Amino acid sequence: MDITLLLMAFFSSIGLVFAYLAVVERDLVKAIIFSAVQSSAYAAMLYLLRAPDIVLVYLPVAVGLYPAALLFLVGKTEKEDGE
Amino acid sequence: MRRHIVLVSIVLSVSALAYATTYLGALGPLGFDTRLLAKLFLVYAYNPGAPELTVMSPEAVTSIVWDFRGVDTLYETVVFYMAIVAALAIYRGIGYSSSGVRGAGLSLIVRVVTKILIPMNVAIAVSIAAHGHLTPGGGFQAGAALAVVSVLLAVVFSALSFGKLGVSLARAVALRSAGLLTIAAVVLAPVAFGVATGIRGFLMQNYVKLDSPLAFPTHVSGQLISGTLIWLNLAEFFAVSFGFFVIFMLLSLREDVVREQLGEEHEH
Repeated sequence: MDITLLLMAFFSSIGLVFAYLAVVERDLVKAIIFSAVQSSAYAAMLYLLRAPDIVLVYLPVAVGLYPAALLFLVGKTEKEDGE
Repeated sequence: MRRHIVLVSIVLSVSALAYATTYLGALGPLGFDTRLLAKLFLVYAYNPGAPELTVMSPEAVTSIVWDFRGVDTLYETVVFYMAIVAALAIYRGIGYSSSGVRGAGLSLIVRVVTKILIPMNVAIAVSIAAHGHLTPGGGFQAGAALAVVSVLLAVVFSALSFGKLGVSLARAVALRSAGLLTIAAVVLAPVAFGVATGIRGFLMQNYVKLDSPLAFPTHVSGQLISGTLIWLNLAEFFAVSFGFFVIFMLLSLREDVVREQLGEEHEH
Protein backbone atom coordinates (compact mmCIF):
# COMPACT_ATOMS: atom_id res chain seq x y z
CA MET A 1 0.00 0.00 0.00
CA ASP A 2 1.09 3.53 -0.75
CA ILE A 3 3.01 5.01 2.20
CA THR A 4 1.69 8.49 1.32
CA LEU A 5 -1.91 7.35 1.80
CA LEU A 6 -1.03 5.67 5.11
CA LEU A 7 0.63 8.85 6.37
CA MET A 8 -2.36 10.90 5.16
CA ALA A 9 -4.69 8.63 7.12
CA PHE A 10 -2.44 8.91 10.20
CA PHE A 11 -2.25 12.72 10.14
CA SER A 12 -5.92 13.20 9.34
CA SER A 13 -6.82 10.96 12.31
CA ILE A 14 -4.58 13.05 14.56
CA GLY A 15 -6.26 16.19 13.20
CA LEU A 16 -9.69 14.73 13.89
CA VAL A 17 -8.88 13.68 17.47
CA PHE A 18 -7.37 17.06 18.33
CA ALA A 19 -10.25 18.93 16.66
CA TYR A 20 -12.59 16.99 19.00
CA LEU A 21 -10.39 17.76 22.03
CA ALA A 22 -10.25 21.47 21.09
CA VAL A 23 -14.04 21.69 20.93
CA VAL A 24 -14.79 19.88 24.20
CA GLU A 25 -11.96 21.39 26.29
CA ARG A 26 -13.22 24.02 28.76
CA ASP A 27 -9.79 25.54 29.48
CA LEU A 28 -9.31 27.88 26.52
CA VAL A 29 -5.49 27.82 26.69
CA LYS A 30 -5.48 24.03 26.37
CA ALA A 31 -8.07 24.24 23.59
CA ILE A 32 -5.80 26.60 21.62
CA ILE A 33 -2.87 24.18 21.97
CA PHE A 34 -5.06 21.26 20.79
CA SER A 35 -6.15 23.39 17.86
CA ALA A 36 -2.52 24.17 17.00
CA VAL A 37 -1.69 20.42 17.03
CA GLN A 38 -4.62 19.81 14.69
CA SER A 39 -3.33 22.56 12.35
CA SER A 40 0.17 21.05 12.41
CA ALA A 41 -1.28 17.68 11.34
CA TYR A 42 -3.00 19.48 8.46
CA ALA A 43 0.31 21.14 7.51
CA ALA A 44 1.87 17.67 7.27
CA MET A 45 -1.04 16.56 5.07
CA LEU A 46 -0.55 19.56 2.76
CA TYR A 47 3.10 18.56 2.42
CA LEU A 48 2.06 15.01 1.51
CA LEU A 49 -0.34 16.49 -1.07
CA ARG A 50 2.73 18.16 -2.64
CA ALA A 51 1.74 21.74 -1.84
CA PRO A 52 4.99 23.07 -0.27
CA ASP A 53 3.98 26.69 -0.94
CA ILE A 54 0.94 26.26 1.27
CA VAL A 55 2.95 24.39 3.93
CA LEU A 56 5.37 27.32 4.18
CA VAL A 57 2.57 29.75 4.99
CA TYR A 58 0.40 27.29 6.96
CA LEU A 59 3.14 26.24 9.38
CA PRO A 60 4.05 29.67 10.80
CA VAL A 61 0.39 30.65 10.90
CA ALA A 62 -0.77 27.39 12.51
CA VAL A 63 2.02 27.02 15.06
CA GLY A 64 2.98 30.64 15.70
CA LEU A 65 0.62 33.40 14.70
CA TYR A 66 -2.81 31.86 15.18
CA PRO A 67 -2.24 30.42 18.69
CA ALA A 68 -0.44 33.63 19.69
CA ALA A 69 -3.28 35.87 18.52
CA LEU A 70 -5.82 33.68 20.34
CA LEU A 71 -3.69 33.52 23.50
CA PHE A 72 -3.45 37.32 23.57
CA LEU A 73 -7.24 37.48 23.21
CA VAL A 74 -7.78 34.89 25.97
CA GLY A 75 -5.44 36.95 28.15
CA LYS A 76 -7.71 39.94 27.58
CA THR A 77 -10.94 38.04 28.37
CA GLU A 78 -11.68 34.87 30.35
CA LYS A 79 -9.67 31.69 30.76
CA GLU A 80 -12.70 29.39 30.94
CA ASP A 81 -15.35 28.76 28.33
CA GLY A 82 -18.75 29.88 29.66
CA GLU A 83 -22.07 28.32 28.71
CA MET B 1 -23.87 15.65 27.07
CA ARG B 2 -21.83 18.29 25.23
CA ARG B 3 -19.09 15.74 24.51
CA HIS B 4 -21.63 13.35 23.01
CA ILE B 5 -23.10 16.02 20.73
CA VAL B 6 -19.62 16.99 19.49
CA LEU B 7 -18.58 13.36 19.00
CA VAL B 8 -21.74 12.41 17.13
CA SER B 9 -21.60 15.49 14.86
CA ILE B 10 -17.91 14.87 14.04
CA VAL B 11 -18.51 11.19 13.26
CA LEU B 12 -21.59 12.00 11.14
CA SER B 13 -19.95 14.79 9.14
CA VAL B 14 -16.74 12.80 8.55
CA SER B 15 -18.72 9.73 7.42
CA ALA B 16 -20.89 11.84 5.11
CA LEU B 17 -17.84 13.57 3.57
CA ALA B 18 -15.95 10.28 3.21
CA TYR B 19 -18.97 8.65 1.51
CA ALA B 20 -19.53 11.65 -0.80
CA THR B 21 -15.90 11.95 -1.87
CA THR B 22 -15.33 8.23 -2.47
CA TYR B 23 -18.50 6.38 -3.52
CA LEU B 24 -20.46 9.35 -4.91
CA GLY B 25 -17.42 10.90 -6.66
CA ALA B 26 -18.21 14.40 -5.37
CA LEU B 27 -14.75 15.70 -6.33
CA GLY B 28 -15.34 14.94 -10.01
CA PRO B 29 -13.14 12.73 -12.14
CA LEU B 30 -9.78 12.26 -10.42
CA GLY B 31 -7.01 10.75 -12.49
CA PHE B 32 -3.28 10.38 -12.19
CA ASP B 33 -2.69 12.36 -15.40
CA THR B 34 -1.69 16.01 -15.11
CA ARG B 35 -4.62 18.17 -16.20
CA LEU B 36 -4.40 20.37 -19.29
CA LEU B 37 -4.57 23.61 -17.27
CA ALA B 38 -1.68 22.50 -15.04
CA LYS B 39 0.31 21.45 -18.12
CA LEU B 40 -0.14 24.93 -19.66
CA PHE B 41 1.17 26.62 -16.50
CA LEU B 42 4.11 24.22 -16.29
CA VAL B 43 4.99 24.77 -19.95
CA TYR B 44 4.80 28.57 -19.84
CA ALA B 45 6.15 29.35 -16.33
CA TYR B 46 9.74 29.24 -17.59
CA ASN B 47 9.88 29.16 -21.38
CA PRO B 48 12.33 31.50 -23.17
CA GLY B 49 11.06 29.96 -26.43
CA ALA B 50 7.66 31.64 -25.96
CA PRO B 51 8.69 35.07 -24.65
CA GLU B 52 5.27 36.73 -24.94
CA LEU B 53 3.61 34.03 -22.80
CA THR B 54 6.24 33.12 -20.22
CA VAL B 55 6.91 34.51 -16.74
CA MET B 56 10.59 33.46 -16.81
CA SER B 57 10.32 31.79 -13.39
CA PRO B 58 10.74 28.03 -12.83
CA GLU B 59 8.43 28.24 -9.79
CA ALA B 60 4.97 27.69 -11.25
CA VAL B 61 3.09 28.75 -8.09
CA THR B 62 4.85 32.12 -7.79
CA SER B 63 4.41 32.59 -11.55
CA ILE B 64 0.67 32.14 -11.13
CA VAL B 65 0.46 34.21 -7.94
CA TRP B 66 2.40 37.27 -9.16
CA ASP B 67 1.90 37.17 -12.92
CA PHE B 68 -0.75 34.90 -14.45
CA ARG B 69 -3.22 36.08 -11.77
CA GLY B 70 -1.16 38.93 -10.38
CA VAL B 71 -4.05 41.36 -9.92
CA ASP B 72 -5.77 38.88 -7.56
CA THR B 73 -2.68 38.86 -5.36
CA LEU B 74 -2.51 42.65 -5.53
CA TYR B 75 -6.05 42.89 -4.16
CA GLU B 76 -5.32 40.26 -1.50
CA THR B 77 -2.44 42.46 -0.38
CA VAL B 78 -4.83 45.42 -0.27
CA VAL B 79 -7.28 43.40 1.87
CA PHE B 80 -4.50 42.60 4.34
CA TYR B 81 -3.50 46.28 4.31
CA MET B 82 -7.08 47.28 5.15
CA ALA B 83 -7.18 44.76 8.01
CA ILE B 84 -4.09 46.36 9.56
CA VAL B 85 -5.65 49.80 9.03
CA ALA B 86 -8.73 48.56 10.92
CA ALA B 87 -6.56 47.35 13.82
CA LEU B 88 -4.76 50.70 13.93
CA ALA B 89 -8.13 52.48 13.88
CA ILE B 90 -9.41 50.46 16.87
CA TYR B 91 -6.25 51.29 18.84
CA ARG B 92 -6.17 54.89 17.61
CA GLY B 93 -4.49 57.43 19.82
CA ILE B 94 -2.94 54.85 22.10
CA GLY B 95 0.70 55.54 22.78
CA TYR B 96 2.92 52.47 22.67
CA SER B 97 4.90 53.13 25.82
CA SER B 98 6.71 50.87 28.26
CA SER B 99 4.04 51.53 30.91
CA GLY B 100 1.46 49.75 28.77
CA VAL B 101 3.16 46.37 28.66
CA ARG B 102 3.97 43.53 31.01
CA GLY B 103 7.70 43.44 31.67
CA ALA B 104 8.23 39.91 32.90
CA GLY B 105 9.03 37.58 30.00
CA LEU B 106 9.91 33.90 30.42
CA SER B 107 12.78 32.04 32.14
CA LEU B 108 16.48 32.29 31.25
CA ILE B 109 16.54 28.91 29.47
CA VAL B 110 13.70 29.90 27.16
CA ARG B 111 15.31 33.28 26.51
CA VAL B 112 18.69 31.79 25.53
CA VAL B 113 17.10 29.19 23.22
CA THR B 114 14.96 31.90 21.62
CA LYS B 115 18.02 34.12 21.15
CA ILE B 116 19.58 31.30 19.11
CA LEU B 117 16.36 30.65 17.18
CA ILE B 118 15.53 34.23 16.17
CA PRO B 119 18.54 34.79 13.81
CA MET B 120 17.76 31.41 12.17
CA ASN B 121 14.14 32.48 11.80
CA VAL B 122 15.14 35.78 10.17
CA ALA B 123 17.59 34.01 7.81
CA ILE B 124 14.96 31.48 6.73
CA ALA B 125 12.38 34.23 6.18
CA VAL B 126 14.75 36.28 4.01
CA SER B 127 15.73 33.16 2.05
CA ILE B 128 12.07 32.21 1.44
CA ALA B 129 11.40 35.73 0.13
CA ALA B 130 14.55 36.11 -1.99
CA HIS B 131 14.22 32.61 -3.52
CA GLY B 132 10.47 32.87 -3.96
CA HIS B 133 10.79 32.85 -7.76
CA LEU B 134 13.02 29.73 -7.73
CA THR B 135 11.79 27.47 -4.93
CA PRO B 136 8.48 27.06 -3.06
CA GLY B 137 7.73 30.15 -1.03
CA GLY B 138 7.34 33.85 -1.69
CA GLY B 139 6.52 37.15 -0.05
CA PHE B 140 3.56 36.09 2.06
CA GLN B 141 5.20 32.87 3.28
CA ALA B 142 8.34 34.76 4.23
CA GLY B 143 6.31 37.50 5.92
CA ALA B 144 4.42 34.94 8.02
CA ALA B 145 7.75 33.30 8.97
CA LEU B 146 9.26 36.61 10.08
CA ALA B 147 6.06 37.57 11.92
CA VAL B 148 6.71 34.63 14.27
CA VAL B 149 9.70 36.65 15.54
CA SER B 150 7.32 39.36 16.74
CA VAL B 151 5.35 36.73 18.69
CA LEU B 152 8.54 35.30 20.21
CA LEU B 153 9.71 38.77 21.21
CA ALA B 154 6.38 39.68 22.80
CA VAL B 155 5.93 36.37 24.67
CA VAL B 156 9.49 35.33 25.58
CA PHE B 157 11.20 38.69 26.17
CA SER B 158 8.05 40.72 26.97
CA ALA B 159 6.72 43.50 24.78
CA LEU B 160 9.42 45.83 26.14
CA SER B 161 11.93 44.11 23.84
CA PHE B 162 10.42 45.82 20.77
CA GLY B 163 11.66 49.15 22.08
CA LYS B 164 15.09 47.70 22.96
CA LEU B 165 15.50 46.42 19.39
CA GLY B 166 14.45 49.79 17.96
CA VAL B 167 11.17 48.50 16.51
CA SER B 168 8.58 51.14 17.32
CA LEU B 169 4.97 51.10 16.18
CA ALA B 170 5.58 54.05 13.85
CA ARG B 171 8.64 52.36 12.36
CA ALA B 172 6.77 49.09 11.77
CA VAL B 173 3.94 50.99 10.06
CA ALA B 174 6.51 52.88 7.94
CA LEU B 175 8.29 49.67 6.85
CA ARG B 176 4.96 48.06 5.98
CA SER B 177 4.00 51.14 3.94
CA ALA B 178 7.40 51.09 2.21
CA GLY B 179 6.67 47.50 1.12
CA LEU B 180 3.27 48.50 -0.23
CA LEU B 181 4.69 51.54 -2.05
CA THR B 182 7.32 49.32 -3.67
CA ILE B 183 4.57 46.97 -4.89
CA ALA B 184 2.70 49.98 -6.31
CA ALA B 185 5.87 51.25 -7.98
CA VAL B 186 6.57 47.87 -9.61
CA VAL B 187 2.94 47.62 -10.76
CA LEU B 188 2.92 51.13 -12.25
CA ALA B 189 6.49 51.21 -13.62
CA PRO B 190 5.75 49.73 -17.10
CA VAL B 191 2.85 52.18 -17.62
CA ALA B 192 4.95 55.15 -16.46
CA PHE B 193 7.87 54.05 -18.64
CA GLY B 194 5.45 53.60 -21.55
CA VAL B 195 3.97 57.07 -21.12
CA ALA B 196 7.46 58.62 -20.91
CA THR B 197 8.83 56.85 -23.99
CA GLY B 198 5.70 56.43 -26.11
CA ILE B 199 5.97 52.60 -26.02
CA ARG B 200 2.86 50.68 -24.93
CA GLY B 201 3.18 49.26 -21.41
CA PHE B 202 0.69 47.41 -19.21
CA LEU B 203 -0.03 47.42 -15.46
CA MET B 204 1.94 44.65 -13.70
CA GLN B 205 3.72 43.80 -16.94
CA ASN B 206 6.58 41.42 -16.23
CA TYR B 207 7.97 40.29 -19.57
CA VAL B 208 7.45 41.15 -23.23
CA LYS B 209 3.93 40.88 -24.69
CA LEU B 210 2.82 40.51 -28.31
CA ASP B 211 2.14 44.27 -28.59
CA SER B 212 4.63 45.58 -26.03
CA PRO B 213 8.40 45.09 -25.99
CA LEU B 214 8.82 46.27 -22.36
CA ALA B 215 10.32 43.78 -19.90
CA PHE B 216 11.86 43.88 -16.44
CA PRO B 217 15.41 42.48 -16.40
CA THR B 218 15.22 38.69 -15.91
CA HIS B 219 18.88 38.15 -15.04
CA VAL B 220 21.34 40.10 -12.91
CA SER B 221 24.98 39.05 -13.47
CA GLY B 222 23.90 35.62 -14.63
CA GLN B 223 21.44 35.01 -11.78
CA LEU B 224 17.78 34.49 -12.67
CA ILE B 225 15.64 37.08 -10.88
CA SER B 226 12.50 36.58 -13.00
CA GLY B 227 11.67 40.23 -13.70
CA THR B 228 9.04 41.64 -11.36
CA LEU B 229 8.72 38.51 -9.21
CA ILE B 230 11.73 39.05 -6.96
CA TRP B 231 10.79 42.71 -6.32
CA LEU B 232 7.16 41.89 -5.62
CA ASN B 233 8.17 39.02 -3.30
CA LEU B 234 10.61 41.19 -1.34
CA ALA B 235 8.12 44.07 -1.10
CA GLU B 236 5.30 41.72 -0.01
CA PHE B 237 7.69 40.24 2.57
CA PHE B 238 8.09 43.68 4.18
CA ALA B 239 4.39 44.55 3.89
CA VAL B 240 3.20 41.27 5.47
CA SER B 241 5.85 40.81 8.16
CA PHE B 242 5.64 44.35 9.50
CA GLY B 243 1.85 44.28 9.17
CA PHE B 244 1.91 41.33 11.58
CA PHE B 245 4.46 43.17 13.76
CA VAL B 246 1.94 46.04 14.09
CA ILE B 247 -0.86 43.61 15.04
CA PHE B 248 1.16 41.78 17.69
CA MET B 249 2.63 44.97 19.13
CA LEU B 250 -0.92 46.29 19.59
CA LEU B 251 -2.20 42.96 20.99
CA SER B 252 0.64 42.78 23.52
CA LEU B 253 -0.53 46.02 25.15
CA ARG B 254 -2.20 45.50 28.51
CA GLU B 255 -5.97 45.56 28.26
CA ASP B 256 -6.49 47.81 31.31
CA VAL B 257 -4.07 50.42 29.91
CA VAL B 258 -5.82 50.31 26.52
CA ARG B 259 -9.23 50.74 28.14
CA GLU B 260 -7.96 53.57 30.30
CA GLN B 261 -6.59 55.44 27.27
CA LEU B 262 -9.65 54.81 25.13
CA GLY B 263 -11.54 55.78 28.27
CA GLU B 264 -14.89 57.46 27.97
CA GLU B 265 -15.45 56.51 24.36
CA HIS B 266 -16.05 52.87 25.32
CA GLU B 267 -18.39 53.66 28.19
CA HIS B 268 -21.05 55.33 26.08
